[in-house]
Amino acid sequence: MIASAMLPFFEGPGLPVMPTEESQDLLVLDSRLTELSRVQSWAEELADELNLNQKTRYAIRLCLEEALANIVIHGYRSESGHPVVIRRWFAEGTLFFAIEDEATPFALEADAAGADAQEPASLESLTPGGNGIPLLRHFAGSLAYERLDGGNRLTMGFPVQPF
Amino acid sequence: MTLSTESMDGDITRVLLDGRLDIEGAAAIDLRMNVLAGSAKFLLIDLSNVSFLGSMGLRSIVVPAQAVRRRGGKVALLSPVPMVEEVLKASNMDKVLPVFHELDAAVATLR
Repeated sequence: MIASAMLPFFEGPGLPVMPTEESQDLLVLDSRLTELSRVQSWAEELADELNLNQKTRYAIRLCLEEALANIVIHGYRSESGHPVVIRRWFAEGTLFFAIEDEATPFALEADAAGADAQEPASLESLTPGGNGIPLLRHFAGSLAYERLDGGNRLTMGFPVQPF
Repeated sequence: MTLSTESMDGDITRVLLDGRLDIEGAAAIDLRMNVLAGSAKFLLIDLSNVSFLGSMGLRSIVVPAQAVRRRGGKVALLSPVPMVEEVLKASNMDKVLPVFHELDAAVATLR
């Protein structure tokens, strides 16, 4: 059950309709950063099938890494043994990935107001880290965040532009 | 991700990175980057063979760059491929770390 509607800091045409279980691919991960390689291989397979160009492949790789790192590091506080479920589907020229977890809301909500990368005054004043959400916003074609009953769902869309 | 270094005239240490600077790649180079940052006066980070850069990779560049700058040194980035450069721009990293596509221009800035 969705506890809140799409948050204002996420952009895109609205929440994409998730297809039925039968028509979507699904990957269940443990909350460890080492699971990223499985995700990337899984995404690459689809990228090959759809003959995606290098720019779209890069965007998908980057956004999956940033989203999963946020869930594992911030949502689950680097604790393994928690589920992360990723669904992928293709609709209306867009490839979607929906990532669900059972973690508390992480930095996404806290960073709502300042989700764009702020221009730093100097290198010295820069706080290392904190670029995940600005990068997600920049590289995903659309983003939608939902707070679920006991978890989160982040849906990322990538317009498909074959070679 | 591999890392090699080259000493250049003018006290410049050129760091050549090769591979993906993702979470795994960042973990592979962090220690060596921090060691280099502890001794290098002028650091030129060559990104021409880096095919991927994520936020954890950015961190692997920023932390040593800050260390060099704190000691009065300078840092520059060289020849990122277009998608890596887009990450640098999207994160505003290019505003605080100069990015060059010509070696001579980078060296002139560091000296």
